[in-house]
Amino acid sequence: MSQTMLKVENLTVYYGYINALSHVNIEVNEGEIITLIGGNGAGKTTTLMSISNLVEKAEGKVTFRTTDITRTQPDKIVKLGMSHVPEGRKIFPQLTVYENLIAGTFGQPKISKPRIAELVEENYVLFPRLKERAKQPGGSLSGGEQQMLAIARGLMMDPALIMLDEPSLGLAPIIVEEIFELIRKIRSRGKTVLLIEQNASMALSIADRGYVLETGRVTLTGTGRELLVNPEVKRAYLGV
Amino acid sequence: MEYLLNQVVNGVCQGAIYALMAIGYSVIVGVVGMVTFTYGEIMMIGAFGAFYSFQYFGNNLPLAILLAFSSSFLLGIVVYKVCYEKFFNAPRHISLLCTIGFSMLMKNLAQIVFGPETKPMINIIHNETFTLRLAGVAVDFKLLQIIVMLLVVFFAVSLTLFFNRTRWGVALRAVSQNKQAAYLMGINVRRTAMLGNCIGCGFGGIAGILLSIYYYAVSATIWGNFSMKAFSASVLGGLVDLRLSALGGLCMGLIENLGITVSSATFRDVFSFSFLILILIIRPQGFAAKKGSRV
Repeated sequence: MSQTMLKVENLTVYYGYINALSHVNIEVNEGEIITLIGGNGAGKTTTLMSISNLVEKAEGKVTFRTTDITRTQPDKIVKLGMSHVPEGRKIFPQLTVYENLIAGTFGQPKISKPRIAELVEENYVLFPRLKERAKQPGGSLSGGEQQMLAIARGLMMDPALIMLDEPSLGLAPIIVEEIFELIRKIRSRGKTVLLIEQNASMALSIADRGYVLETGRVTLTGTGRELLVNPEVKRAYLGV
Repeated sequence: MEYLLNQVVNGVCQGAIYALMAIGYSVIVGVVGMVTFTYGEIMMIGAFGAFYSFQYFGNNLPLAILLAFSSSFLLGIVVYKVCYEKFFNAPRHISLLCTIGFSMLMKNLAQIVFGPETKPMINIIHNETFTLRLAGVAVDFKLLQIIVMLLVVFFAVSLTLFFNRTRWGVALRAVSQNKQAAYLMGINVRRTAMLGNCIGCGFGGIAGILLSIYYYAVSATIWGNFSMKAFSASVLGGLVDLRLSALGGLCMGLIENLGITVSSATFRDVFSFSFLILILIIRPQGFAAKKGSRV
């Protein structure tokens, strides 16, 4: 088995009095696609946000490779090689597509110009449509293009681990397929992917392993294929 | 007719200074994410920085501008540390009230340190007038006005270039558009916000020196009014849009000076603030167009 990339132990988060996550354990190994599925309010996004330290943790430990990042500032976490593509895309609407991509490199202040150009070029190969629209403001793109921009921006950090929060949210089925195809491609470029999805069937079909979250707890875990045929999952998330 | 045209020239010049104030204000509001009430005192520090520069280093305009910029820049750091940094996660009104308190403190400290009297600031720029004759109508341009307008254009253009061409500029714009996403890009949001706040303050300082050159005087007590004008101009432009804020400032300067051609100069503020209210009734979003940008 390859190395552990990200280890979340005993993670507990409160929003006021509400227990959003209790004792969540997740492990991501290098080169894997791991998916976290669950319904609305199950705590998927909260899990990612607390890994990136955007919400306060009540308990638990997060380790990235060998570094303890439980209390590390969000911008420092990025510098370690972990990028978080937030839910709802959150691109910068008034920056141009190119500037949005450049914004992805701010985590590494010492990055050289040729390296930036190289990364931009790599992303243009993955997302040819962004190249056509490089000079347009990000806010003028369609939903699917914005999602691609958000992912591309995340890849500009040249991360070892990329965490995607509901990349298929609100997109047409054909675009969703395109996005999942991209996720595969991203993995084949040597990145590890932690994917959060409501679209359980799609997510599980490309994932190596999956975790099912329900009201803040991990209730099931297994390989993508196991979970796809699991009767519980089928009933609750696949609508079969 | 001649009087009116001359007032237009005065209006454009004063409007240019207001525009610079509004640009600085918009930068601050953008990166910090809330309005500030210390801006008048920021401009005051810039003006006094320039005043002492003129007093001790002679009639050196670039040096005075540099000193005005840096003194306001430094005060910007203080404002940031006192009013914003500790309250990042607190409810917003706390920072807001803090800026009001800081502004009062500064205003009164300034009267103790600099004295309450109005200090003259004359002969900075040689008093020369050019007359342009167009179809029998003479329009006067003072050298002072020309220099002020050129300086405003110069600083506005350099700020625009800074924002659009440099990595720092793009980072600042990213922070002002979405702080959480900026965090996820690995931008040190607090430090960037501080830098942005200070740059905005520095521009306020430059506006401060231009205003005092324009009025031939500097005093510790008049800045509340200018602060309100910067705020209004920036509201006209939709608070965070630099270009539209500048346009708002220009309009306010013009309206003021055209207004006082038909009445007394003491009614200056009546015209500018009525204009603000009128525009906001018709277009609550100010000059900003509701562009269909999806977020």
